[in-house]
Amino acid sequence: MAQLDLEIRSLRKRYGGFTAVDDVSLQVGQGQFVCLLGPSGCGKTTTLRCIAGLEEPDDGEILIGGRQVTHDPPWQRDIAMMFQDFALFPHMSIARQVGFGLEMLKRPKAEIRKRVAEVLAAFEIGGLAERRPASLSGGQRQRVALARAMITEPRILLLDEPIGALDYSLRETVMLELKQVQRRSGISFIWVTHDQNEAFSLGDLVVVMNHARIEQQGTPQEILQRPRTPFVAGFVQGNNVFRGRYTAAGAGHARVGAYLLPAGGPPPAEGAEASFSIRAELLRFNPPADWPNRLAARCLTVEYFGSIRRYILQGPDGALLKLDQFGAEPATIGVGEETVLGWRAADAVLHA
Amino acid sequence: MHWKTRQRLVTWALGTLTIGFLLYQWLPILTLAVLSFSGPTGGTTFPMNGVSLHWYRELWAASFIGDFKPPLWRSFLLALACSGVTCVLSVASAQAMRARFAGHNAFFFLLLLGLMAPGLLVGFGFALLARLLGMEPAWNTTAFIVHVSWTLPFGFLTMLAVFNRFDVKLEEAALTLGANRFVAFRRITLPIVLPGVIGAALFGFSLSYDEFARSMFTTGPDNTLPLAVLAQLDQQLTPELYAIGTATTLTSLLVILLTTTVLWLSRRRAAAR
Repeated sequence: MAQLDLEIRSLRKRYGGFTAVDDVSLQVGQGQFVCLLGPSGCGKTTTLRCIAGLEEPDDGEILIGGRQVTHDPPWQRDIAMMFQDFALFPHMSIARQVGFGLEMLKRPKAEIRKRVAEVLAAFEIGGLAERRPASLSGGQRQRVALARAMITEPRILLLDEPIGALDYSLRETVMLELKQVQRRSGISFIWVTHDQNEAFSLGDLVVVMNHARIEQQGTPQEILQRPRTPFVAGFVQGNNVFRGRYTAAGAGHARVGAYLLPAGGPPPAEGAEASFSIRAELLRFNPPADWPNRLAARCLTVEYFGSIRRYILQGPDGALLKLDQFGAEPATIGVGEETVLGWRAADAVLHA
Repeated sequence: MHWKTRQRLVTWALGTLTIGFLLYQWLPILTLAVLSFSGPTGGTTFPMNGVSLHWYRELWAASFIGDFKPPLWRSFLLALACSGVTCVLSVASAQAMRARFAGHNAFFFLLLLGLMAPGLLVGFGFALLARLLGMEPAWNTTAFIVHVSWTLPFGFLTMLAVFNRFDVKLEEAALTLGANRFVAFRRITLPIVLPGVIGAALFGFSLSYDEFARSMFTTGPDNTLPLAVLAQLDQQLTPELYAIGTATTLTSLLVILLTTTVLWLSRRRAAAR
């Protein structure tokens, strides 16, 4: 079996009476791009800081490259970290702080100078070598922070909302660059973010956290198409979540409330409260007669994003529904119009 | 009137007030400085009787009144020691406060109590305690300890304010880049809070240098400068005392100027690196 870059076993961290991280376990293979995704306060940053050694876990184990590091200080772990506001050293020139990691490894001066020049050139910031952080733009700072963290080629790079401080227009370019840098370097990235666009476009593995626990981990496709819990379904974009009583319906099917769907994994108790979700792009106006799930709705508003057109509708019980259509097609209904929409039983996903 | 115009007027008024305050602060010293240059027959009030360096020569030769050079030297050494100790202790105590240890609030108030306590009584109390412990009061033992209890809160508050603005992430970044805690402190924390450290050092120096109340009962037979000056004032007032006031003020200004220049130069050199 190939060695894991990172393994976390039942990590737990409490602050007084508040549990910040609860029973978090995670395995990261070599050179993987992992995104920890969740709302603020969900424990993703605390998990990251535990991996860095900046926080002391109350329970659990952390292994980096197969080596037990749970009680090692940050400077003895094979990691580097990039902070949200970059934490550049204000009193050091760019060349000096990019070389800081090598200096700590006691590499010869000539080698440091050479490596710093190479790395600065690779990140296209060679011209900034003698400058101070204060005189740099946000994008330049981000490159300096990345260069500083990657120069020692650590096994794992920890990134705490690394592009949250950048202008929105810059983010897409930076994300693409970072993904390429990560692939080339073979360094595992653990990327903390509350932005699902970042997580789903970057992560090989996305770990959704809420209330100190991992709700679900998987590829972006798994999480988007098969949300395991009502939280994940509600947190990621484009899901319609329904709740109701669970009843078995035979032939591998079940009902939640009035709606038919595949029975799913270990079935809930008969009559128990359950929930399922259906993606907005799988709803259809005026569904074929043989689709079992249908309901009447009124269109409240239509949002147009170019690639998709999203209808926000209100069902008979007052709940809001989302229906996505391919943006290149003309609009089907207008605001205020009544319609019927439906979905196939097979497309609905029962939650645990 | 537009509010911008009114704002300009307020700015002018505040500026005038500032200049008024500076005059109020410096005119008494300036008066002494001018009178210190009066002639050999000059008195201690205006009008001046001639202009000369006579009183400075007298001061140096110590022919007419007591010799001020030993007290001056003692005060200087004492202030220097207070400055150094204040520096180290205030950085250490402010660092300790950052860790929010149990009872840090009580610690904070106890340390600040040094500011509130009446100096004369603190000195007297400490002298009594020292006697009880079999310690003879002297400028470089008892007086030194009491001075530090006075200068430390100032240094501590300075460092506390500086550390409040300090971004802990900078230290953490250094740790994740392979620096241990000592290296992170030396390479990252200390350079960034250095202006505050120098401020604490200056507080330590100047507060000790002219301290009278706390020195009164704790200094023993060998006087510090403020005590020597007051003793002389009790006997006879001559422009020589003005000369000594002027000389020490100039020395203090020089020390501050020197420190800031050194700091500025070292920053520029670091920037060029």
